[in-house]
Amino acid sequence: MSTQAPILAAEKLGVRYGSFLALSDVTLSIKSNTIHSVIGPNGAGKTTLFHALTGRVRASSGRITLNGQDITHVSDDRRVPLGIARSFQVTSLFQNLSVRENLRLAAQGRSPLQALAPWRGVDPGGHALAVADEVMERLELTHVSDRAAGELSHGQQRRLEVGMAVAAKPRLILLDEPTSGMGIDDVEAMKALIRDLGRDHTVLFIEHNMGIVMNISDTVTVMRAGRVLVEGPPAVVRDDPEVRRAYLGNMITGDLA
Amino acid sequence: MNRASLHFLLAALVAIALPLFMRSGTLASEVLIFAMAAAACNLLLGYTGLLSFGQGIFFGLGSYAAGLTLLHTSLPLGVALALAAIAGAVVATGVGWLSIRRQGVYFVMLTLAFSQFFYFLAYTFKDITGGDNGLLNIPRTAIGPFSLGDSWAYYAFVALLFLIVFAALQRVASSTFGRTLLAVRDNEERARAIGFPVRNFKITAFAISGAVTGLAGALHALLIGVAPLSNIEYHMSESILIMTIIGGSGNLFASVLGAGFYVIVSDLLSSIWPRWLLLLGGLLIVVALFMQKGLWGLIERLVDALPMGRRSPIESPIQPESEGRGI
Repeated sequence: MSTQAPILAAEKLGVRYGSFLALSDVTLSIKSNTIHSVIGPNGAGKTTLFHALTGRVRASSGRITLNGQDITHVSDDRRVPLGIARSFQVTSLFQNLSVRENLRLAAQGRSPLQALAPWRGVDPGGHALAVADEVMERLELTHVSDRAAGELSHGQQRRLEVGMAVAAKPRLILLDEPTSGMGIDDVEAMKALIRDLGRDHTVLFIEHNMGIVMNISDTVTVMRAGRVLVEGPPAVVRDDPEVRRAYLGNMITGDLA
Repeated sequence: MNRASLHFLLAALVAIALPLFMRSGTLASEVLIFAMAAAACNLLLGYTGLLSFGQGIFFGLGSYAAGLTLLHTSLPLGVALALAAIAGAVVATGVGWLSIRRQGVYFVMLTLAFSQFFYFLAYTFKDITGGDNGLLNIPRTAIGPFSLGDSWAYYAFVALLFLIVFAALQRVASSTFGRTLLAVRDNEERARAIGFPVRNFKITAFAISGAVTGLAGALHALLIGVAPLSNIEYHMSESILIMTIIGGSGNLFASVLGAGFYVIVSDLLSSIWPRWLLLLGGLLIVVALFMQKGLWGLIERLVDALPMGRRSPIESPIQPESEGRGI
């Protein structure tokens, strides 16, 4: 695996909010077809890293490359057709639109300029709807396809949140705390889903649940105070003294091995 | 029958019914002209979530563009109308392009500022626009063999254009573009995150809205033979917005209702009491407080209350709603 070229690479990435340095000198390399997780205490800059990688926040320094192409100054919406899609930590759906319409839009987002034509039918070839149906099937949302997203249960909304990223058929999928606020049963299902996504996509995800992180990640990046503390396979990261200190030794209890 | 064809049928019924119930062809034409302007406003307010005070600019410019063309050139009426629509679209693109750089209240203030700016431009360049007096004696030339001199003949022409414009706006609203506008209205951040260049969508919505509003302004100038300064005044923007809100921002036909109600009630009230605007203000308060889906919402509720009430709940999520969010 280590011989593969990275799909996404960040070099000395920095993000500054006013005088606050949210991210500094982050160098990260995501290998193709791996599951890569980012962990760290609250305020470590994980979500800011996601914002920078997806283009929602401008990088103040450093550069980002996708398959070798420099995308540092490419806007967030233009990164989607290049193959990056994300989910949000705080659920961000089209609350008044149906589940199917949410996913159809997400699938359409891969070729957004088609949607600028005011005379064009909703989905003439049926491609976007086919993708929407496929994603609903995969996320077990088919039975609520016509319900407004805002009416779904929390667990269903979190699944749809991940589905919004999946529907874009990205090469790299970024999931920001996909299990946040979920019940135990839903967490298990989400773990299986992320592992499953790892077969078709490269997955980068932020997670607090160490059971998931240690179990399904190929690589773990630990962040603290806007910097990368340690990076490596789960077993190495778990035994790293620095990490143990950062987490006061009591958070990493994953059921690996 | 699906919802779009039903609404188109209702719009056609309105166009046919107006001559049966109204004595003045001028007033009937005015209803349909403002119905176009309100529907165009609804594309921004109801579908995109943009509360624009710029509609009067596009309306007034349409009046001037058509008036100037017919006064100073020998171009046919159809060309004058097309130029008015183009003028509306071009200026709306510019106003939209600058205004959508800000959101919420600041967006509204920018459109308001543009509205004042264009009003004073029209006021200042008296040689072109006629200033306070307006652009007078605009000829209503014939279209081919058809003379539009008679007020009902002109009504027929306006009604035809109204139905074409209404159908076109319906097409826009139900297209993949219109559905994306609804998504932008619902959650702009998410729309951008799934790949849509939100600003281009908003600007395009502005351009379409501006074209239709410009056309409506041109038809209005031809109706009264004058392009008055009041057509580009801030008050015009306000009137168009009030029509849209009274009708309900949920669908395009609601705007036809709103425009009809506003124009006809204004006409009735103004003949009874010079301070009629006061009553209209009161009505607006009632709509804002108790009937946020406007007249259309009221009708929906009445239909639902009927024993035959047959609206399926599944249809509704795709509709824009006129809750007070997302300016």
